Amino acid sequence: MSRTNRKAAVVGVGHTDWVGDWARVRAGENPTDINGYAAFAFIDALKDAGLKRDDIDGLICGPWNPYERMGELLKLNVRWGDNADAVLAVLSAVQAIETGMAEVVALVYGNDQRSVGTQYGGPQAMGGDAFLSYVYHAPWGLTSQGALYALMFQRFRALYGFEESDLGHVAVAQRASAQHNPNAIMQGRPISLEDYLGSRYICEPLHLFDYCLINDGGVALIIAEAERARAITDRPVYIDAVGRYDLNENATTLEPRLTEFYRPAQQKVAEQVFNRAGIGPDDVDVFQVYDSFSVHVPLALEGYGYCPVGGAGKFLRESGIGLDGKLPTNTSGGHLSETYMQGWNHQVEAVRQLRGGCGSRQVEGARYVHYSSDVAGKAMSIIYGN
Amino acid sequence: MAMTSETSQTIPNRVLGLYDKPFWQLLAETRALHLQRCGSCGAFRYPPGPVCHECLSPDYAWTAVSGGGSIMSWVIFHRQYLDLYPAPYNVVAVRLDEGPIIISNLTGAEPEGSWIDRRVEMVPVPIGAEILPRFALVR
Repeated sequence: MSRTNRKAAVVGVGHTDWVGDWARVRAGENPTDINGYAAFAFIDALKDAGLKRDDIDGLICGPWNPYERMGELLKLNVRWGDNADAVLAVLSAVQAIETGMAEVVALVYGNDQRSVGTQYGGPQAMGGDAFLSYVYHAPWGLTSQGALYALMFQRFRALYGFEESDLGHVAVAQRASAQHNPNAIMQGRPISLEDYLGSRYICEPLHLFDYCLINDGGVALIIAEAERARAITDRPVYIDAVGRYDLNENATTLEPRLTEFYRPAQQKVAEQVFNRAGIGPDDVDVFQVYDSFSVHVPLALEGYGYCPVGGAGKFLRESGIGLDGKLPTNTSGGHLSETYMQGWNHQVEAVRQLRGGCGSRQVEGARYVHYSSDVAGKAMSIIYGN
Repeated sequence: MAMTSETSQTIPNRVLGLYDKPFWQLLAETRALHLQRCGSCGAFRYPPGPVCHECLSPDYAWTAVSGGGSIMSWVIFHRQYLDLYPAPYNVVAVRLDEGPIIISNLTGAEPEGSWIDRRVEMVPVPIGAEILPRFALVR
């Protein structure tokens, strides 16, 4: 309940040139490979933190970057390391710091999903080794992760009278925010609600604009023990709380998605992280939501208590998640409009909003950012504070 | 929707673990849907597995279920991923009367308006030498 939770802070962020990577890959070039994207992001983060490579004593690599090879490539002879996705990487770094296993941890991620044609749907759909639901229903043609969210959303909207256009506000607001972000791939391409409603369905009721981008790139973060962080930088971004609650029961047949929309897990995580950070939803200035699909946003708004259960449609219509809305959400454009770095880009945006200096997309006086990830019913959250 | 018997086709990408095989074999032999039923507490389970998720008992018997259920949700794919499924095609989540949810397709007539809570029954659809369990609206 107290600030003794402030054990770790982000001291550096870095990433590749997503806009340039996008253009080069679409022109048929291969700017680098998966470890190269991670390496270039690491170099950028190191510079941002003003650190030397030898200051790093822990290394967490993204799910696709082999830990040993990355350590070798970057000549990081660290005393502790791991592989993890974005949210688990941050949770893991905090745990390593709290237990004294590491003091300054580099988190590096690269993805060449666009240039190698990674399939998130169809017979080669990835992720099936971890989540049986991604592959088990292929005999009936249910193969894509987007379809799992489409099934979830279809029932959700029927139960709560949520309109198709309500969901459109997510894609439209995030695209509008992306217009203020020079790193956003969709900068220069705003969309209206009419564009959204007129766009083609991929898996109905989800439209093209409900789906994330697929692009290459890399992201890196450097997280340090809090006291050390204050020596490294005068603007550390603290990790005030982390939380997690999983729903595994009948997960393959989608029960946690289709009955309660992962809400019980999110409610438990909300209690954990808001208590720990000593704040409530009203204190959150910026909400960052893992948005492989737009559907994550209304579900997280309800699950974390930003609006009543069944109130997400009204919240999106009337309160708003844009830069001028009640709860600016995915202010960089998120996965839908900035870059699909599988949750890693959201951490960068959280840090930038809390440092200030985001230009025309800066949420004035931002003190707390909440990041939520609910991939496959594993609800996790981070509260960042400055 | 063209979801009738297609003899030259095969069922795509079945997960065929040790406990899945009897599910498909029993379908092909009897044209009825069978699920494992716990020998200790009586719970049905799907997907098939080594122990009961309710009581952890390893005892079970493959048991025919009624084939009745109701639709929990549905989607329409507008993109083709698999030979057997030219777009557009539907996928439904059906709550079986025995408890488990099964993902499948609605074959035959489609409801006007919302599909949710519509009563359905299992229809065994031959695909090559196999049987794929699909569902049709109860009239």
